[in-house]
Amino acid sequence: MRTPDPTIRIAVTGAGIICSIGRNKDEVWRSIRESRANIAKLTRFPGETFPTELAAEVDADVDALLPIDRRAAKRMSRSDRLAVVAASEAIAQAGAFPRERAVVSTGTSTGGLVEGEDFYFARLVRGRGRTPVSRVLQQPTSGPSDAVARAFDLGGGVLSNATACASGGAAIGMAADVLRSKHADVAIAGGTDALCRLTYSGFNVLQAVDGEPCTPFDAQRKGITLGEGAAYLVLERWDDAVARGAKILAELCGYGATCDAHHPTAPHDDGRGAEAAMRSALAEAGLEADDVDYVNAHGTGTTLNDSAESKAIAAALGTRTPASSSKSFFGHTLGAAGGVEAVITVLALMHQLAPPTLRLNEAAPECPLDYIPHTPRPMAMRAALSNTFGFGGSNVALLFRAVSS
Amino acid sequence: MLGMTQRIAVTGLGTIAPAAIAPIDRFDTAGLSAHAAALVRDFRPRDFIAPMKLRRMNQLSRLTAAAARLALGERKLPAGSGVAIGTAFGTVQTSVDYMQEYVAKGAALAPPQLFAESVANAPGSHVAIEHDLRGFNVTVTQRESSALAAAMYACAQIAKGAAPAALIGGVDEVTEMVFSVLARLGALSDCARPFDRRRDGFTPGEGSAVLVAEALPSSEPLGYFSGFGIGRDTTATISDWGADDARVAAVMRAAMDDAEVERVDAIFASANGSRRGDAVEARAIARVFGDNVPPVVATKGSFGEYAAAGALQLAAAFAALRDRALPASVGFEEKDPELPVAPIESARPAALRHVLVNSISAGGGIVCAVASATSS
Repeated sequence: MRTPDPTIRIAVTGAGIICSIGRNKDEVWRSIRESRANIAKLTRFPGETFPTELAAEVDADVDALLPIDRRAAKRMSRSDRLAVVAASEAIAQAGAFPRERAVVSTGTSTGGLVEGEDFYFARLVRGRGRTPVSRVLQQPTSGPSDAVARAFDLGGGVLSNATACASGGAAIGMAADVLRSKHADVAIAGGTDALCRLTYSGFNVLQAVDGEPCTPFDAQRKGITLGEGAAYLVLERWDDAVARGAKILAELCGYGATCDAHHPTAPHDDGRGAEAAMRSALAEAGLEADDVDYVNAHGTGTTLNDSAESKAIAAALGTRTPASSSKSFFGHTLGAAGGVEAVITVLALMHQLAPPTLRLNEAAPECPLDYIPHTPRPMAMRAALSNTFGFGGSNVALLFRAVSS
Repeated sequence: MLGMTQRIAVTGLGTIAPAAIAPIDRFDTAGLSAHAAALVRDFRPRDFIAPMKLRRMNQLSRLTAAAARLALGERKLPAGSGVAIGTAFGTVQTSVDYMQEYVAKGAALAPPQLFAESVANAPGSHVAIEHDLRGFNVTVTQRESSALAAAMYACAQIAKGAAPAALIGGVDEVTEMVFSVLARLGALSDCARPFDRRRDGFTPGEGSAVLVAEALPSSEPLGYFSGFGIGRDTTATISDWGADDARVAAVMRAAMDDAEVERVDAIFASANGSRRGDAVEARAIARVFGDNVPPVVATKGSFGEYAAAGALQLAAAFAALRDRALPASVGFEEKDPELPVAPIESARPAALRHVLVNSISAGGGIVCAVASATSS
């Protein structure tokens, strides 16, 4: 079996994103530049009451953005639709690549669960014999990869993972290995998650949700803001990208994947798994801590994550590398987060501008790093890490490098 | 070039297999078009898992934990070992249970523990905690191909040196929710007959299987993962198989090329009794092997479809290498004259050097793996 060849460089040749602060890269990046979050009242479940009321919803008319016909869209869950919109932007940017050799790799924590919930409620009323099943066929977490592969006629294969909040990062790492092993020639890799009642309620019963917009790394932080969205990168082997004249946005030079093996929902206090993931990404890329100029943190806003992650970053990189939480803009997009934040990290490298952590009034004592409060910071950025951690203790760190324009 | 190709040893195997396909007694199937499944029976989680831990685990986690315990015994894997679990439907039942609480008690009062167990990677998380596995940890959810895709990922990690070893597995359970939806699609049969002339659908199954994979075998291996291929039949719809046997054949060949083998001594087929799925696979096998088709084994007449998301099929392939014997294809009785291939009907001894394992999903996803008896 071919070993993933570490000398093969991975080029990012396309990126697409949709989340609460924008329907595409331009809108999202404009919001970042202008320090403009979008966290507002939850509207997706009218008539249902939750202990908190805020969310970072995708306000846009997602169906209007879909590049496929209505009939095909009807069978797709909201997570699928968000995925297809984001993939569409990424694929359009990447240009002509061999579609029959393109694999789709998606991370999602819930897939079409909101449609599954609707189905469940409908069944309670109508009985299982009289509730139409067509919308629930896309409930499984394999739905988004299948939907993207179908929408763009991609024949290289489909991979999906549901590794909680680390899913999107895991999907991108998995795709890199597939390319380095030459099992496929192109990968569309990222994540998607639509808001659903189970997760909105579930994080609330865990008391992990802030009643106000989240304040990552702040002394007063109280938890996450739930969000939704999708994002994909188009990845190719560097030489293939150059040979077909593709524009290269950034390089994915390494990734690390670890597990805390500690607790089903809480990270290890010391951030040991997170630290190991970051070190592993550096090792794979052949880079040192000093080569990393920015960390796009997981930065959820929970007491536990932000302190453990700060320790991990300090241990892996030292205390001088700035780290910010872009979840302060668009909330925690769960399975999509790894993909959404990878796109943010690529944009940061392209524009040499680090996104800020919004609403950071006073960093907690256990959070001693430079979190780039309030305003984006123009800075020379050679390489940047994107961290994604999840329930079950999975940690993924993606390491990207800027390309000279 | 150092270490550019490698085979990954499998040194342990644990399974919680279902009993034979039989009428479902776990939930009511009245009014549905199908009534049978391959269900796990006589499973006593307490035989494998401490009572305090059991409390926090849903059935998927229990099945996986038990299979992992059987695979490992008392062994400890080296530091940095990983976990890759596949599941087609994941934690559907826990999500249903959560929604039941949500409806009954409201969004604020559902039990937090149920939410923690509602993530598809809960089984993989419990296994990592139990055996202190701090390497990668991913849960692949690619339908019928999940466990093979998990194996592909885990072997890549081991081959590139990111982890010295891993638990590779799969788990699924038959739930009323999923069963009733599949029945409504008309996809199910009460008696799965892979490749058979009279086949009329697949039968769901459940269970778990876990394999121990190592870069450096710590004991006599059952066999080795030697190659993988991945692709997609673009003619497939959401819920059915396609007809592009050329594409399926290409993925089979890709796995064999990855393994650097020209022939295999057996094929563990994906066939499950579906009309289109079995047909596209049979034609693909004929394309690859022409007049020289190796013995074909269909296991999904025993395990049912999904059963451990392909992990039970992988387990059967490695057991065959270890035991030098091929199992019978339960459920097959009468060759279909329209198919160029038929599976073996009875168990037989077989000196196997390489076996091909196919996983062809409804929706078009294809993952193939080659398992070999030796390291080179």
